[in-house]
Amino acid sequence: MNQFLINLDKWWITIKISWVKHTAYRLNFLLQILGPAIVFLFVKYNLWSAIYKGQPDLVIKGFNFQDMIQYHFWAFVVGLVAQGHGAWNLAEDIRMGRISSYLIYPFNFWEFHTASWISFQMIQIFITTVTLLIFKSMGIIQLPGSSLFIFGTVYTLFISCFWFSIQYLTGLISFWLEETWILRVSLNIVATFLSGAIIPLDLYPEALVKILNYTPFPYLSYYPIQIFMGKISSPMELSLGIAIIGIWTLALTYINHLIWKRGIKLYTAAGM
Amino acid sequence: MTAPLIQTQNLGKQFVSFKKLPGVMGSFTSFFKRNPIIKNAVEDFTFTVKAGEIVGLLGPNGAGKTTLMKMFTGIIVPSHGELKILGHNPWERDKALRKKMALVMGQKSQLWWDIPAMDSFLLLQKYYEISDEQFEERISKMSELLGVKDLLHIHVRKLSLGERMKMELMASLLHNPDVIFLDEPTIGLDLVAQENIRHFIKQYHEENQCCIIITSHYMQDVQALCDRLVLIFDGKKSFDGPIEEFEHILGHEKSVTFNFSCPQDPKHSFFSSLNTKWNEELTQLELRIEEARLREVSAQMIQDFPVEDFQTEKLPIERVMKELMNNPDLLRKKSP
Repeated sequence: MNQFLINLDKWWITIKISWVKHTAYRLNFLLQILGPAIVFLFVKYNLWSAIYKGQPDLVIKGFNFQDMIQYHFWAFVVGLVAQGHGAWNLAEDIRMGRISSYLIYPFNFWEFHTASWISFQMIQIFITTVTLLIFKSMGIIQLPGSSLFIFGTVYTLFISCFWFSIQYLTGLISFWLEETWILRVSLNIVATFLSGAIIPLDLYPEALVKILNYTPFPYLSYYPIQIFMGKISSPMELSLGIAIIGIWTLALTYINHLIWKRGIKLYTAAGM
Repeated sequence: MTAPLIQTQNLGKQFVSFKKLPGVMGSFTSFFKRNPIIKNAVEDFTFTVKAGEIVGLLGPNGAGKTTLMKMFTGIIVPSHGELKILGHNPWERDKALRKKMALVMGQKSQLWWDIPAMDSFLLLQKYYEISDEQFEERISKMSELLGVKDLLHIHVRKLSLGERMKMELMASLLHNPDVIFLDEPTIGLDLVAQENIRHFIKQYHEENQCCIIITSHYMQDVQALCDRLVLIFDGKKSFDGPIEEFEHILGHEKSVTFNFSCPQDPKHSFFSSLNTKWNEELTQLELRIEEARLREVSAQMIQDFPVEDFQTEKLPIERVMKELMNNPDLLRKKSP
């Protein structure tokens, strides 16, 4: 076997082991599947039904009731695939000195962590597919044409790489800061708000949207949702999103590499 | 293979921490003005270890043993000095070096909690690129030796501490490492489990002639396993030599304890020339006798006094260790 296959084998077994770990607690796993879907149905669906109630022709900034539900459903799907992985463990692993084992095994910490993320993504994609099928069969959503759907899916996977790299970064900051929880929660809240995951960016003041277009935020939720809803379909616009997210991800990965190299020198392996 | 496996030269590690006053105000002021406290965890540590040696690293809590182990295994980066393990700088964490090294931590589990030990072993098989035949051979041999054959497929979180420790040992020895670091491998274990682990390590070492560095607070471990002891106090090496020499660090006296059937008179002329230590009831006497006079004094004691039983100490290093920990200055006098 050549070295590449041997390494691939290491990744594969790590993914499988993480799989077992992610699903070790069955109830937890089940809640993880059901929880977000229930929240979506009860909170968002009911909220927007109430807003549009009795006014079947109401259009808010170009969104009628059907559009609004579509928007929120796709926001939910994008969030599920792109942002499901919390990477909460990383910071704790560093602070509690749990990364020592990975410094000793001939398999690097980032490799282990990435493999664990890939395995989580596989579960998450399965959950999303099931959710999609259920909502489709209930007639709540419409799927775009197959090429747009595939493009949207690939794009969403790019976004998940972006989220992974930025969460990895916030985790690495634990080499310097005792507690990074607040930092990560604020990042999530800000991103959720500015990316259009809570309400469509069309509802925000125009000036704000103009500024936002210079940040990666709209490309994290608003853009992919527009693709799934068939509102963005020109090749130019489609590749713009991928290019922006791709460049950000590469830059973050490089920064992570540098930060790891500096941080590991500060690592004291608390408690061993 | 006589080239040193581990070589250090004036190795040192400093930790910087920041003083924080208690309470909210303390947090507030230390946010703006941080008072660094620099602690030398290890200082000027120089030693070499050859292939096949078992070295016991001894010292009180906080003396720097674990810091040394972390530097040896490349987990932390030394602040100064040189350190080579099998010719590598461990903190560069070359994969080639990592494949020849193992670390077992008694206080910390390296196995995955939520899966059976066997699954962890299979993972490590891939990581260390161990062939199937070798893997199976080692698993069956080690699990036999440790008596854990039936436990391989049970979730690690359901194992007892002793069983888990055995699995930890197996996990770290699967790849047949050249250098093994054992950090308190018997901590918290019952006497039988301790003995099992010691026996296993001894046997493993005899068969593989690997190099082992072990830290432990149990002197039985040290006595049973190590040929050579290294003592650390306050981050500095204060003794390095064979275990027999360590026993004699405080002189060539033996300690013998006699139990009498009735109280004795400590002012008896026979005792005047001896180093004695009586219990309160005057029925037990601990004598420190020069090795050369041991036979003569003991024989006379048994003849002249109502001795019920007597014993020589089993673990002289334990006594030496205790005295040194209570009075570290003793060493400074010994080695000017």
